[in-house]
Amino acid sequence: MKLGRLHTATAAVLLTALLASCGASNQNTAAEAAVDSEARLVVANFRAPVSNWAVESDDAYVLSIAGCLETLASYDQVGKKVEPMLAESWKQASATEWDFNLRDGVKFQDGTALDAQAVENSLNHVLKATAPARAVNPKTITKVKALDADTVRITTPAADPLLPYRMASVNAGVLSPAAYTAKGIDPFGHCTGPFAPVSEKAGQSLSMDRNPNYWGGEVKLAGGEIRYITDGTTRSTQVQTGESDIAMSIPATNIATLEADPSVELAKADSPRTATLYLNNSRAPFDDRELRQAVTMALDLPAIAASVYEGIAEPATGPFAPSEPWANSELGVPAVNLDEAKALVQKSGHAQDKPLEIVAIVERAEFASVGAIIQEQLKQIGLQANVVTKAYGAVEPDLLAGNYDMVVSQRNRMIDIADPIGFLQADYTCAGGYNLSHYCNKDFDALIDQAAGESDAAVRHTLYRQAGDILAKDAVNVWLVNEQAIDGVGASVQGYVQDPLTRYVFTKDLAKTK
Amino acid sequence: MPVLTILLRRLIGLGAAVLLSSFAVFLVPFVAPGDPVRNLLRARMDAGVADEQTVQAYAEQFGLYDPLWVQFGRWLARFFSGDMGISYVSGTPVVETVLPAVGVTLLIAGISILVAMAVSIVLGVVAATRAGRWPDKLITSITHALIAIPEYAIAPLLVLLFAVKLAWLPSAGFHSPASLVIPVFVLCLRPISFFTVAVRSGILQSLGSEHVLAARARGLGRTGALLHHVIPHGLLPLWTMTGVWFAGLLGGSVIIEVIFAIPGMGRLVFDAIVNADIPVAQGGVVLVVICAVLVTSAVDLVQQFSDPNVRVGARHD
Repeated sequence: MKLGRLHTATAAVLLTALLASCGASNQNTAAEAAVDSEARLVVANFRAPVSNWAVESDDAYVLSIAGCLETLASYDQVGKKVEPMLAESWKQASATEWDFNLRDGVKFQDGTALDAQAVENSLNHVLKATAPARAVNPKTITKVKALDADTVRITTPAADPLLPYRMASVNAGVLSPAAYTAKGIDPFGHCTGPFAPVSEKAGQSLSMDRNPNYWGGEVKLAGGEIRYITDGTTRSTQVQTGESDIAMSIPATNIATLEADPSVELAKADSPRTATLYLNNSRAPFDDRELRQAVTMALDLPAIAASVYEGIAEPATGPFAPSEPWANSELGVPAVNLDEAKALVQKSGHAQDKPLEIVAIVERAEFASVGAIIQEQLKQIGLQANVVTKAYGAVEPDLLAGNYDMVVSQRNRMIDIADPIGFLQADYTCAGGYNLSHYCNKDFDALIDQAAGESDAAVRHTLYRQAGDILAKDAVNVWLVNEQAIDGVGASVQGYVQDPLTRYVFTKDLAKTK
Repeated sequence: MPVLTILLRRLIGLGAAVLLSSFAVFLVPFVAPGDPVRNLLRARMDAGVADEQTVQAYAEQFGLYDPLWVQFGRWLARFFSGDMGISYVSGTPVVETVLPAVGVTLLIAGISILVAMAVSIVLGVVAATRAGRWPDKLITSITHALIAIPEYAIAPLLVLLFAVKLAWLPSAGFHSPASLVIPVFVLCLRPISFFTVAVRSGILQSLGSEHVLAARARGLGRTGALLHHVIPHGLLPLWTMTGVWFAGLLGGSVIIEVIFAIPGMGRLVFDAIVNADIPVAQGGVVLVVICAVLVTSAVDLVQQFSDPNVRVGARHD
């Protein structure tokens, strides 16, 4: 497990907590066993590439998992910090300009050298996409220019201390100029990573061979394969039978089976996803803070976590997971208090002429059960509600337009970069593009503006914490449970470091024992 | 009826089926709730929401806000010039996506139907020739039970037994003949049930027919009568069913394809419809329709030639 360099006592304490919270994948279990240098490893992945390897799309995740696509910077999930990757270092040339100094001796798998022109070409290709990536788009980056062979200057429209985080996004991946063809992206032989894709079976799998000239040093595996298996149960079975060595994203229903299997270990880590009961703050009845507080007090979050999630999710304490450095560690799980909740309902003067509606998004099968429990618990404080299940695509226009009462959904806080700024801006500021709660608080917005321009990570995290406290105090939503990322790992796998953001799997240190 | 007339009618039917099915599929994303352009973008980038500017730019790139009749007309014009269009999600030619998928599905559906036919002929003949006795009762009970068991229930049981417990077969994938065994087994169970019932009934009817009784009266033995008269006639209902079931399996094996991670046509079309990738959905459905019409036409022709009652040019005087 990479620890990185931590410089402060605070960070050391934080790291201890993180190590405890991150599932100890299997990286140490076979430490003494001999590594098989001719071994090939199979990963059952939940995601299949659908966009012809467009780097601005989610296909970039598959290329990154495959150990093919690399970026200027990488994000250490354990240390929660940005580290050099293809760029050796970076510095701010001015408030809106960052210079990235490229690592020496890096070659693409086609033999051409990585230079600043190749980086400029790659990033500009993503910036010009019709549907650009969330982290790398013309609103976040205005210009990419090679200053010399080894230096790339990236200009942002406004001061952006998080630009290195953006350069750690898989959508900022760098490919050889030869990868950009008239027919689309051709990643074969055009990456810099420890593994080179050699063949693909459409809709089924991608096979890779070791990159013998990897800049990062010796690659332990001879090669590997990523299988695209969208069904969670099938992925679980694959790791159980040994057909796959690692199965990503194991569903709750298969946890008990795999836990009972001695040939499989479960790697668990806090995921940046929180299942949330969104409340429409823009219209009655949930434009009343006291009624929102009443709903919070009525819901038994530990019961939801234990029943629907069978114990693989933790009851939420607020908008952030407790293991995140910007979470307020003093916040506890909201206590159930039916008497006070009833009193708040009465005080709000809410007179129900018809039942409220709880929309449960069907893409997550468990949300219907969560909705049913919420329905029952709200009944105890005198709020009648009906549960309806809908596909997200069908309900999104209503959510964005504010035509709903409550919706059970979930959200990835690190959707664009490994920092919650994008999430807080989009979801909770007055002008946020994904403000499903339709919450608007000028004080909150000011805090987020301040955080967005803050280059000191510790100060920024403090601002996020304060922002989270405002959201909790205003009972904007009810944050139900923090989900966990769970991977099934075969006993012979060595060196697997679980990444809850599902970007890194095939690394140079991943290995199989003989 | 002359063969040419049959073929001409089939060709007209095929044209109508292609038009209707492609138009129906085309309409789905527009009549379903939600914005088809946002669904497309979500297929490329799973979480979050695209801003209005991106949605507009994407819609303009593919003309998705043009009037529906313009969009459909555009697709039709391309289709009749031999071009199935470009996928809205991947940006690649549709034909490159649908042809491999239809190949996979044709293979699996074909093997399933052949296995189902072989098994059901044996079971149906045994049941009919021992009608009312224990083999008949056993076969009838089993086939009726199989009709009621859904594929999504039997598939995990077989995986548990043959992949997890016994480790004889792969649990999923499409990478070796062994990986096809469980999916084919699951897919052919229901056709076996229906086919067996049809074969049993056909054989029973044939056993009591006048020409069989006449053949027996002329001294033909039981086995000879069975092989030369009873079975050929008794299997006639099977041909029709075979065509219909095969056509159904071409597009209707979504669940099996998802459970076994098979990159076939059912899953492709289903995903394309959910993602509003209209050209892929249309291309897939049109290919399935063409295959289905070709297969059912071929079956009809086989039936024409093998059934004396409907044989081409046969005189009944």
